[in-house]
Amino acid sequence: MNTVIEVRDLTRRFGDFVAVDRVSFHVEKGEIFGYLGANGAGKSTTIRMLCGLLAPTEGVAMVAGHDIRDDARKVRAAIGYMSQKFSLYLDLPVRANLEFYAGAYEIESPRKRVQEILELLDLEVHRDQITGALPGGTRQRLGLGCALLHRPEIVFLDEPTAGVDPASRRDFWRLIRSLSREGTTVFVTTHYMDEAEYCQRIGLMVDGRLAALDTPRALKRDLVPGRMFRVSNVDERASRAVLSGMSGVVDVQPFGTRLHVRVRPGGPEAPDLGKQLSQAGLSGAEIEEIEPTLEDVFLAVVDPTKGSAAA
Amino acid sequence: MKIWGRIYALAFKEVLQIRRDPRTLVLALVMPVLLLLLFGYGVSFDIDAIPMSVVDQDRTSSSRRLLRRFFASGELRPSGTLSDPDEAYARFRTGQDLGAVVIPAGFQARLRERRPAPIQILVDAADGVTAEQTLGKAESSLKAGAVVRRSRPPVEVRTYTMFNPELRSALFLVPGLAAYVVALVSVLLTALTVAREWELGSMQQLFATPIRRGEIVIGKLLPYLALGLVAVALVIGSGALFFGVPMRGAPGILMLNSFLFVLGMLGQGLLISVLTKNQMVATQAAAMTSLLPSLLLSGFMFPIENMPKILQMITVIIPARYFIDTLRAVLLRGTPASHLWGDTVALAAFALAMIVLSTARFQRRIA
Ligand SMILES: Nc1ncnc2c1ncn2[C@@H]1O[C@H](COP(=O)(O)OP(=O)(O)O)[C@@H](O)[C@H]1O
Ligand SMILES: [Mg+2]
Repeated sequence: MNTVIEVRDLTRRFGDFVAVDRVSFHVEKGEIFGYLGANGAGKSTTIRMLCGLLAPTEGVAMVAGHDIRDDARKVRAAIGYMSQKFSLYLDLPVRANLEFYAGAYEIESPRKRVQEILELLDLEVHRDQITGALPGGTRQRLGLGCALLHRPEIVFLDEPTAGVDPASRRDFWRLIRSLSREGTTVFVTTHYMDEAEYCQRIGLMVDGRLAALDTPRALKRDLVPGRMFRVSNVDERASRAVLSGMSGVVDVQPFGTRLHVRVRPGGPEAPDLGKQLSQAGLSGAEIEEIEPTLEDVFLAVVDPTKGSAAA
Repeated sequence: MKIWGRIYALAFKEVLQIRRDPRTLVLALVMPVLLLLLFGYGVSFDIDAIPMSVVDQDRTSSSRRLLRRFFASGELRPSGTLSDPDEAYARFRTGQDLGAVVIPAGFQARLRERRPAPIQILVDAADGVTAEQTLGKAESSLKAGAVVRRSRPPVEVRTYTMFNPELRSALFLVPGLAAYVVALVSVLLTALTVAREWELGSMQQLFATPIRRGEIVIGKLLPYLALGLVAVALVIGSGALFFGVPMRGAPGILMLNSFLFVLGMLGQGLLISVLTKNQMVATQAAAMTSLLPSLLLSGFMFPIENMPKILQMITVIIPARYFIDTLRAVLLRGTPASHLWGDTVALAAFALAMIVLSTARFQRRIA
């Protein structure tokens, strides 16, 4: 394997506030690395340090083989960056934005490359439209296009799908996966847990610290041990109270009108849960075993008293 | 070659944005000419018989003869006889008179003793163009009437221009206005365009590319430099076209100093936006640090010689002062270029200081 991002004890303070706290990880070439966390967890701050936009307070980071402190310019030439806030020129047409960044990165035969990007990102029909008039999903594809023009080794995408409709989000992730297949490393932040399933590895940020880091599957196995049941078709509040008190139940979380009930290994089975509910006068519950989601992982990490991550 | 590729990309993008936003072009190219016409034509031009009051404190045959000849051409009209020159002020304020001619007591006696015999001509110069006409006609009436030549020693004419000692007219307006308008356009437009990139976040995006700070500065400034120079040319051109402002000196030094002045103003706009990073604050800062000084402390509105010492010292760092000086010298006085290097040096120093300061303050990374 070929390590393209290597981060050791990276720290960023704003005054007394520690936004990123001694974070260490590495990312391999071609990997889709997901950086997850709630708002304010320190995701953007980490990315901005890795892109050479923000000086680290402490720690070391090598990106594409260059130190972000000493060789920021070489880092910039090797990466693409798509910031959380859309930051292309809204008053220019799509093509003008692409041509501008083609010039900024001084790429070879810019016209040809711009055309390629228009086709790759399905922007051909929008090429003469004013950027400000584009719908959210299209804007984000254009942002990605500008970040990819110079064929960077690594792209940093900071919440690229925030505020985008589900269909466009799926399209976007299809693009991300095809990039990774072609060997581009993708460092992506999101707070949509469902998207994180597409990542090969995930770093979970909680209050500036990297609370967990692994493949989605390993995270679920390690952080949400035991089994998971989905309870539906009953009053959510009442059944939550009933099930939380039951022995062997680790955690009960509401998901919409349903509940996700996590039980200890060797704890109650689905019929046991049903019986407990009907004894409390809550009949008709539908209970099925489910795979834990990353959302469950996240909840277990954020509130370690509820899971085995307490250690 | 590579550097130029990046600068070209930046400048070209800027041109596209200017073209898409007509407000920029209006502000840069239409406003200056409009302001000039407004200021220039705002004052009435040809007044047939300029009303002047008469204060004859001598009441002799000599004084009466002088007055007869003074009003002989008909361009000046005696509007009333006053006993005290102070009354003339009141009549200026109400607009009854545009001037007054005062013959002090002892006029004839002094002439007979062959001593200088002063008379006074008071002119209301609140309205610069009219005042200049009044004064011009008064002086030519005195000369045409041969009053001056025949008296020996000559009648001494002392003119006092009231309210506007500099005696501005369209001629004097054009240089000051050119400086003001160029300051407006250059500082404001650059301050806005750079601050907008901060607000939009596109500055961060630029910082994530291999573009260097200096390249951003040059790429941003080039299009506005061109715009600022066109604005100068337009104002001088319209001055010549509409008001007959001449070009008596060497255009070379004028071009050089215009270039340096525009560059300094752009640099100042850049510095403002680098410091404020906000369009709203940048606009106010531009008005305070550039427009007002260019208007008030440049010699445009108030002559620098008449300012209090402390203000005179402040004008030393106001670039508009040097630019107006160059414009007046080249356009109106025909001063040779060799006398204007002082202006060139001052303007160059200001431009250099602004660009160096703003590039230094232009932090790519937030440390
Ligand atoms: N320039 C800054 N000055 C002060 N605090 C900041 C700055 N940038 C970010 N922060 C703070 O650091 C924390 C992490 O922010 P950020 O990295 O943007 O979080 P995320 O991207 O995970 O939502 C937040 O609490 C934010 O308020
Ligand atoms: Mg963020």
